[in-house]
Amino acid sequence: MNMDAAMLARVQFAFTVSFHIIFPTTSIGLAMFLAVMEGLWLKTKDAIYLQIYRFWLGIFAMAFGVGVVTGIVLSFEFGLGFARFAQIAGPAIGPMIALEVLTSFFLEAGFLGIMLFGFRRVGPKLHFLATCMVALGTLMSASWILSANSWMQTPDGVAMQNGRLVVADWFNVIVNPSWLYRLPHMVTAAYLTASFLVAGVGAWYLLRGKHTRFGRKSVSIGMSFAAILIAGQVFIGDILYGTMLKHQPSKMQAAEGFWEEQSQSPAPYYWVIVPDQLHQRNRVALGIPYLGSIWLTHSLHGRVEGLKNTPRDRQPMMGMVFYGFRIMYGTAILMFGIAVTSLWLRWHGRLFITPWFLRALVIMAPSGIIATLGGWYLAETGRQPWVIFGLLRTLDAVSPVPAGALLSTLIAFICIYAFFMTAFLIFVFRIIRRGPEATPEHAEASGSLKNALRPQVIESPTATAVLGR
Amino acid sequence: MDLPLISAVFAAFSITMYVLLDGFDLGVGALLLLQSHETSRNHMVDSITPTWDGNETWLIMTGVTLLAGFPVAYGILMPAFYIPLTVMLLALGLRGVSFEFRAQMKQYRQWDVVLGIGSIVTACMQGLILGGLIQGVAIRGDTFGGSVFDCLRTFPFLSAACVLAGYVVLGGCWLYLKTAEESRHFAERTLRLALPAFLILFSLACVTAVSIQPEVRAVWKTHAVSLATIVGMMALAAVVLFDGIGKRSDLRPLIAALSMVSLGITGLAVLIFPNIVPFRLSLWEASASRLSHIFLLGGAIVVTPVVLAYSAFAYWVFRGKTPAEGWEI
Repeated sequence: MNMDAAMLARVQFAFTVSFHIIFPTTSIGLAMFLAVMEGLWLKTKDAIYLQIYRFWLGIFAMAFGVGVVTGIVLSFEFGLGFARFAQIAGPAIGPMIALEVLTSFFLEAGFLGIMLFGFRRVGPKLHFLATCMVALGTLMSASWILSANSWMQTPDGVAMQNGRLVVADWFNVIVNPSWLYRLPHMVTAAYLTASFLVAGVGAWYLLRGKHTRFGRKSVSIGMSFAAILIAGQVFIGDILYGTMLKHQPSKMQAAEGFWEEQSQSPAPYYWVIVPDQLHQRNRVALGIPYLGSIWLTHSLHGRVEGLKNTPRDRQPMMGMVFYGFRIMYGTAILMFGIAVTSLWLRWHGRLFITPWFLRALVIMAPSGIIATLGGWYLAETGRQPWVIFGLLRTLDAVSPVPAGALLSTLIAFICIYAFFMTAFLIFVFRIIRRGPEATPEHAEASGSLKNALRPQVIESPTATAVLGR
Repeated sequence: MDLPLISAVFAAFSITMYVLLDGFDLGVGALLLLQSHETSRNHMVDSITPTWDGNETWLIMTGVTLLAGFPVAYGILMPAFYIPLTVMLLALGLRGVSFEFRAQMKQYRQWDVVLGIGSIVTACMQGLILGGLIQGVAIRGDTFGGSVFDCLRTFPFLSAACVLAGYVVLGGCWLYLKTAEESRHFAERTLRLALPAFLILFSLACVTAVSIQPEVRAVWKTHAVSLATIVGMMALAAVVLFDGIGKRSDLRPLIAALSMVSLGITGLAVLIFPNIVPFRLSLWEASASRLSHIFLLGGAIVVTPVVLAYSAFAYWVFRGKTPAEGWEI
């Protein structure tokens, strides 16, 4: 297998999986948000919750749809690009992915139809149940996928027999050392993503003085969730850091940007580095003095371990890991700042009327997605050069597919995914621009399934009669 | 207990469910290109919107069952069919997002074209894979030993046309069941053309398969009675279907078409069993270890009945003729 094909297979997987993760992150978060909104509506009968529900339902449906179609690609891509990986790891991750499909995917598929299109066909309670089931399904889906991915990070419960991997203990495979922390980390990231999206859209309306009640409710709910979740996330992230330091020291060494076995004392906290992997040094390194020692060793003069502690042939590429981590961490700090500010402003009753804060919320709307992508780059590039950490090298896992075929499909993926993203964004912005309040004539004049996804439906007399029963 | 065999039966069940259910979805999608009336196209899409993604899941189920239970076969087949699989995934993607994005548009025409082309390409790629499987996959040790272009030959292309025609028949029958008036007439006209086309292509493919693959000939010798019975029953189902077009029963053509396709899949199973990479690698040779099967099957046994009940419920909720104004409002 030559290097070109291996590199292309990796770039193709990286591209398709990065594109994919944006959508499940959004839909896992929005599904729970929608369940909470419908629950609040059922409890309070306040129409604003139903309006919020309907507004986000359309965006959720599209995110979910793109997530599904790009997810299907991944389940085949294990074999398409990395046949040897599939043959070795199949016995361990295959059943977990199969269970993911069985338990949650079908649950989503079965209830999603009712959630999106069944409002007239089933009662409100059953519809709420469908929403909850979809939310639960997305959670279980995340749980299995995180189990499979965490097993690749910290493989456990398996043995090698005649070159084939044999599962010795399923419990250890599923509850592998990193899953317990990575799952809540990812789920919290998804809920944070939804919170910032919701708050961002609400803030956009408030800045324009439109749909004020909807906007205030969105900002209020989004920031409440964000404040609670970001606190939890800092806590979970800290535990996860310790776990990964223990199981994958090479990843965390690369993530902090130090090369020497022991860094200088006091250690700075780097924000910008230009690493030179070949000479095992940084060409440029800019950071905040003392902060590395304080954050990483909890002392003023502590030293941090560098990547030279890991033999060269087992080192990940520092640049990717470092910047993945910095993007995640930097964004998280901003999110934390926003959440704390929101509490302060709420305390003083100025949450909805502080323009600079609302503008910040609009800018921060996609922050959850950016942080999640950064985190996955840290996780996946930090695992290199292994595809299953310590067991199988990525280069040994690649399929016997010629580079030309890989390059052609990579280009096709990029074109078609760019088309998906463009269409998705156009439609999301259109829904946002149109606003949550309906123009009744529309809903009455044209009537079809597609209207289930349109916010106008809420305001139409038919819908009100049906939904209000 | 022979766990690999049970896993293989589960994989066969999944792929059968997929072909039967997504078969009509893809057929309806392909027919969108032939329907010039926007209203009728809306009816067509509405008839499959609530359930299409549930149907498609069976394909993923088949894939992951292969990965979990037969990783060696998965690792051989995926690279062998790299081109048709990747194109199929892209086409399925285009088709999937068309459903979502179509709902956001006032003008659907472009999305209907995307949906139609996506459906046709998906069907053809599945046909290429089927043809490639029957034609034979080159193996070296545990890995794929041929070229990724092996499946782009005459027989797989014939098989692609055959699968497309088969899906169009299923799609026509689905529309016949789910729609009324203009769309139902359209379904009738489609079926009168598509069914004979499918039968001709299918016969051609059978004859060609026998001539290009000695193993198929061998199976015809050893299992002559069962294969002949299957072909006979398929012919009977085709007659029942053709006779049912235009008659009062909405359901009869669909039942007949589903029976016909199921019989075709049974025939394939007779040809391929007990191999998983046809004629080269038996399912036991490609199998994962015992605990992997236990976990896979344990999940499948508990969850599949529930899943089937869910699906049945979803079909029940959206039963009957698709309302002219769509499902909601």
